[in-house]
Amino acid sequence: MAVAKEEQKAAPDKQKQDGKKKQEPEEELSDEDLELKKNIELMVERVKDSDAAIVKAALDAITKEIHTTTSSMTAVPKPLKFLRPHLETLISTFEAMLAGPNRQTLADVLSLLTSTVAGKEGEREGLRFKLQGNTSDLETWGHEYMRHLAGEIAEEYKDRHEKEQPVDDLLHLVAQIVPYHMTHNAEPEAVDLLLEVDQLDKLEQHVDDKNYARTCLYLVSCCTYLPEPEDTQVLQLAHRVYMAQKKYHDALRVALRLNEPATIEATFAACSDVLERRQLGYLLARHGAWGAINLEEGPAAVEDEAEREALREIISNSKLSEHFLALARDLDVVEPKVPEDVYKSHLTDGRQPAGAALDSARQNLASTFVNAFVNAGYGQDKLVTVSTEGNDTVHWIFKNKDHGKTSATASLGLISLWDVEGGLPLIDKYLYSNDNAVVAGALLATGLVNCGVQNENDPAFALISDYVSNADAGIRSGAILGLGLAYAGTQREEVQELLVPLREEVQELLVPLVLDSDQTMEVAGLAALALGLVFSSSCKEDVVEALLTALMSRGETELSGVWAKFLVLGLGLLFLGKQEVVEPTLEIAKTLAECVSKYAQVVLDGCAYAGSGNVLKVQELLALCGEHIETEEAAAWKAVHQGPAVLGIALIAMAEPLGAQMATRMLEHLLSYGEPPVRRCVPLALALLHVSDPAQQVVDALSRLSHDADTEAAQNAVLALGIVGAGTNNARLAGILRGLASYYYKEPSLLFLVRAAQGLAHMGKGLIGLSPIHTDKQLLSGVALSGLLAVLTACQDLKATIGAKHHYLLYCLATAMTPRMLLTVDNEGQLLSVPVRVGQAVDVVAQAGRPKTITGFQTHTTPVLMSAGERAELGSEKYLPLTPILEGTVILKTNPDYVELAE
Amino acid sequence: MKVNVKWGKELFNDIEVDTTQPPIIFKSQLFTLSGVPPERQKVLIKGGQLKDEEWGKQQPKEGMTIMMMGSADEIKVEAPTNAPKFVEDLPEEEQNTLETKAYGSGLKNLGNTCYMNSTLQCLYTAEGLKQALQAYQPASLSEPNAKLAQAARELFDDLQRGGEPFPPFKFLLTLRQRFPQFAQQTNEGLYMQQDAEECWTQVMYVLKEQLKDADGKSAVDRLFGLKLHTRLKCAETGEEFEEDSTVYTLKCNISVDVNYLHQGVSLALVEDREKNSTQAERLVLFKGSSQLASLPPYLTVQMVRFFYKADVRQKAKILRKVTFPMEFDVYDYCTPELQKQLAAPRMALKDYQDKLSLEKRTAKQLKTEDGPKPAPVLDAGGSSSAAAAAEPAAAGDVDMKDADAAAAGPPSAVVAGAQTGRYELAGVLTHKGRSADSGHYVAWTKQADGRWVLFDDDELHFKTAEDVLALNGGGDWHMAYLLMYKAVTVPEAAVPAAAAAKPEAAAESQPEPMKAE
Repeated sequence: MAVAKEEQKAAPDKQKQDGKKKQEPEEELSDEDLELKKNIELMVERVKDSDAAIVKAALDAITKEIHTTTSSMTAVPKPLKFLRPHLETLISTFEAMLAGPNRQTLADVLSLLTSTVAGKEGEREGLRFKLQGNTSDLETWGHEYMRHLAGEIAEEYKDRHEKEQPVDDLLHLVAQIVPYHMTHNAEPEAVDLLLEVDQLDKLEQHVDDKNYARTCLYLVSCCTYLPEPEDTQVLQLAHRVYMAQKKYHDALRVALRLNEPATIEATFAACSDVLERRQLGYLLARHGAWGAINLEEGPAAVEDEAEREALREIISNSKLSEHFLALARDLDVVEPKVPEDVYKSHLTDGRQPAGAALDSARQNLASTFVNAFVNAGYGQDKLVTVSTEGNDTVHWIFKNKDHGKTSATASLGLISLWDVEGGLPLIDKYLYSNDNAVVAGALLATGLVNCGVQNENDPAFALISDYVSNADAGIRSGAILGLGLAYAGTQREEVQELLVPLREEVQELLVPLVLDSDQTMEVAGLAALALGLVFSSSCKEDVVEALLTALMSRGETELSGVWAKFLVLGLGLLFLGKQEVVEPTLEIAKTLAECVSKYAQVVLDGCAYAGSGNVLKVQELLALCGEHIETEEAAAWKAVHQGPAVLGIALIAMAEPLGAQMATRMLEHLLSYGEPPVRRCVPLALALLHVSDPAQQVVDALSRLSHDADTEAAQNAVLALGIVGAGTNNARLAGILRGLASYYYKEPSLLFLVRAAQGLAHMGKGLIGLSPIHTDKQLLSGVALSGLLAVLTACQDLKATIGAKHHYLLYCLATAMTPRMLLTVDNEGQLLSVPVRVGQAVDVVAQAGRPKTITGFQTHTTPVLMSAGERAELGSEKYLPLTPILEGTVILKTNPDYVELAE
Repeated sequence: MKVNVKWGKELFNDIEVDTTQPPIIFKSQLFTLSGVPPERQKVLIKGGQLKDEEWGKQQPKEGMTIMMMGSADEIKVEAPTNAPKFVEDLPEEEQNTLETKAYGSGLKNLGNTCYMNSTLQCLYTAEGLKQALQAYQPASLSEPNAKLAQAARELFDDLQRGGEPFPPFKFLLTLRQRFPQFAQQTNEGLYMQQDAEECWTQVMYVLKEQLKDADGKSAVDRLFGLKLHTRLKCAETGEEFEEDSTVYTLKCNISVDVNYLHQGVSLALVEDREKNSTQAERLVLFKGSSQLASLPPYLTVQMVRFFYKADVRQKAKILRKVTFPMEFDVYDYCTPELQKQLAAPRMALKDYQDKLSLEKRTAKQLKTEDGPKPAPVLDAGGSSSAAAAAEPAAAGDVDMKDADAAAAGPPSAVVAGAQTGRYELAGVLTHKGRSADSGHYVAWTKQADGRWVLFDDDELHFKTAEDVLALNGGGDWHMAYLLMYKAVTVPEAAVPAAAAAKPEAAAESQPEPMKAE
């Protein structure tokens, strides 16, 4: 071990030593060193001897010297240093030597010696000699040597692989190096080597309970930097390892990332511990994989009825509302807020118009949204849930105009978000209204209440389904979007005996709408979006077919409109994160009408590779963004694909911090050099990269853009500010938005967006964030992302959608809304208050030793809020968490080894 | 078979269901439990609503929880009959003027008519004039003066409506008819720019003739009339004259050493004129100086910025910076008699203001955040209602007396609404340009709510007091030409007799002297 360590340090110091030597050519040598030097010179001479025995003795002596040497950490080991001048001699001796054990031993020595000398590019001397020497007992030569060798093997392998030469001898070496690394805390290097030589499956046998954690952490983390199909392979490997180690929570996370239903179910089924399984249930619920597990039958069936019920309750998120309100009570923010609490117009300088004689419908609408987002999930507010009082006889809903009434009624759904039992009675009466816009809003509200939670009686379907074919287009739209939101992400088909027929029904209801060319594009587009939300990442063939047929059968004018984008988005969502599965559909997309074909291809590509970090795809999209397309008024569609291309970059890079950083920089360039269609989407892409994460750099960039001369870019930037700050209560961002409100007070459409952004920034009074990426940034929830993408797609034509009648598309964000809380419960599911340390997360992938995972932490008592980039750990030994990642709802069990310290 | 039914947050346990009977039976069971009549019940089982006649797909299972919706009382959500009207419902033009609607509307420029627009808009701020015009009943419309007054009345009505800027055609035509000098045209046939002060004077003249109060006296005299007491003395002969005259504007002459408004006014009150001396029997120079013998509710000050330059044959402009105050005290220009009369009200006002500022300071110490209000409502709240009720009558009396340009009388007890000799700025008519007959005229007016509104022909903008004070000249920006000051009278709250006056009165800062009309 000692040798290994010294040598490890020696290599980098070698060059320093060289430099030093030039300065002082004659070094003072101690007697001891002189003797060693002489000794070595003597032995080098002897190696040349013709007597094999003498040579052997000499070589053994050299080897012994090397093996036993002890020197300071910063110097080349003395024997090597003295041997180096004789390298040439030794090599020539070696060349002349006859094959035999001596030659092999000499080769070993030479291999080591050359590894300390900087070789030329492509010259792999160390490996060359090693292959001629003894190819066993590598570890006796030390750790640093093995690392060097591993590097050369990787290069050599690549070379030979290209030339299609045999590689058996290399693999023989690999087989020795890998176990050594695996047992010496160098798991990442072992993984790297195996990846280089395409032998990843060899890793599994070397993983044990001591090194699995670091190995898997590295495997999972490097996944985003690997090309297809290796990225999947490493995940599968990590999953197998975790399963073998019975780390089901880790395994399930990997399985969810793999997005393979069978794997997810198998993982769940393998976990037999009741509490641990419940914790898995919370993970599934958080990810939005409500339909992933069939508890009734199949591999994951649960025999015990009470337990099955408990699990269903967890997975269906039934307790979410209760838990959220507990958090709200704990933080003392239950009291409803009014929009003015958010606008804080007394803080802006006197640009506020003095109470005009008339209400502005647009401002009321803005207040509706602000009220909805701010009080989301609390079940009470001061505008829509209260009945009218005093001399103000007009209920708030009717203080909105036309489609505004739809949004106002729908805001009831957002306010009672997750609380199906409490929310639906509130909404019910509006279904009887004589105003179609209100009915449409009530339907949307019904869907919103059910968004993110599942109720066994499926009230949403029961209430909404009859309205899908209503004669009124508004009601139809509300019903369609309501269904889409209520059942967003109810992933799988054959499981969930209950859901299957229902989902089929949803499909049956919606597909005809898409196909029926008599329906307006608006209805078809919304239906496609709803289908995309419900069947996201499912690649369900008949739905794909229906959407493609619709895209083929519609005429050119319809296809160049706004709603065609939603048809395409619906299609894209079906392939969300599915990578190469999208290929056949992509081929078909190429045959679509010219005006939509390119757009569809880009959207499909972006969606399919969402969160993959695939660099090649990013490059492709970047090339599209770089095009300078001359468009005339009549052929504006020629540049329409550039928008999703920009978004696509963000979409692909968003799941991984390094990629996100790079993408942010790329977007800055696009901003400087891009054409208007590209520039307009840059704020949206920035928002996607930093959802609910108001990093200063991004906020600054968006703040700058929000004053852009291009109104559309400014509008997008304003809304993007809202998304970036969603649910953070960020004071700086709030200040910027107040400034914007005063700056744009004369421009109603921008002011509306500023207000909406203010509402988003204070979402759930700062308790609810938009979080497509969750569980320590490891998982990308398709459902959450779908909703976000719907809004961002609408933003590409803001004037025609959110800026006009379809502002209710903003409610699609509900799929991504989650309390940013850490809640701890005991094994009965009752809330438990424990101290936790919350701090900035530290990247510990491939770090030596056992580094701290958080820094600058503070100790709080659960329930506690967590911000972007924060991580928590338990501050008490009394309990053990059932998940390594403290986020959302965490089950704690008492630590059997805990001994209360006597005070 | 037993099921549980969840109705909102309520849970009915173990309800016996007989699936051989039609569901309506089950619904009636629920009716007895919840009081929700079956027709309003929505029973949701497995993604479907239960029908009345048959169970269909919605077969309940033993022990399952069914969801029911509906309310016991009928709740109808009807669209309100009095649907609110929104800004967006208004025509686009009205939306633009919505904020400024309360302050009147803009006047379209009909070709170099900004002199007239700004004059009218400035006069429009004088509440008293507005009321007098409203009460105007022309004797006969054939007379040009009556016609013009009638046109002014109609114009003011239109302004009052607010909203869309409109073209003041009728007024312009009658004005040009009555005073042909405003119909001057250039060689190209375009109407020429005119001097706003001239327009002001002529309009005032016509209104003076036409607007009569109930007692038959001229309303303009009451509102704007300024009695001057002039003393003329001939140095040569020692003769002395005294004369009284009524003027409608106070002049502010601008010479090289005039930097402030009061200097200019003093300068203008000194007047030398040649007069036929009875002693010398020829024209001799009399040195004259004038003093104010009575104060009107509205004091107009003209900055004499233009003088006729013979060589270029136009009214050239003096660009000199003359600072004017927000509050103007004319006490020093008054006759001794008037001064005596003013003394008590002035004291009362001063005491009152001191008291206010003291209260404000203490309030500020208590609570650092307090918006700066011109007259904070911090007065003793409770108030004896008797005193308050007595107030308006008393105020009315004095107003009348005041309006009649209260002649010198014994300094009576201070009453609310009494003149104090102090004036606050209410409107500024400014000119931008190098000569009176060119450039641009606009009106800056202080509204009842304390905001400054700039009337620039058809546009209205909000301005701050700082913006207004910056109109003092010395550059090429707009500079004050006519200043309209409004009298600061003794507020009711300051009347010692009614020390505990109504706080509302104080909030209104100064009661309009016209109230008694």
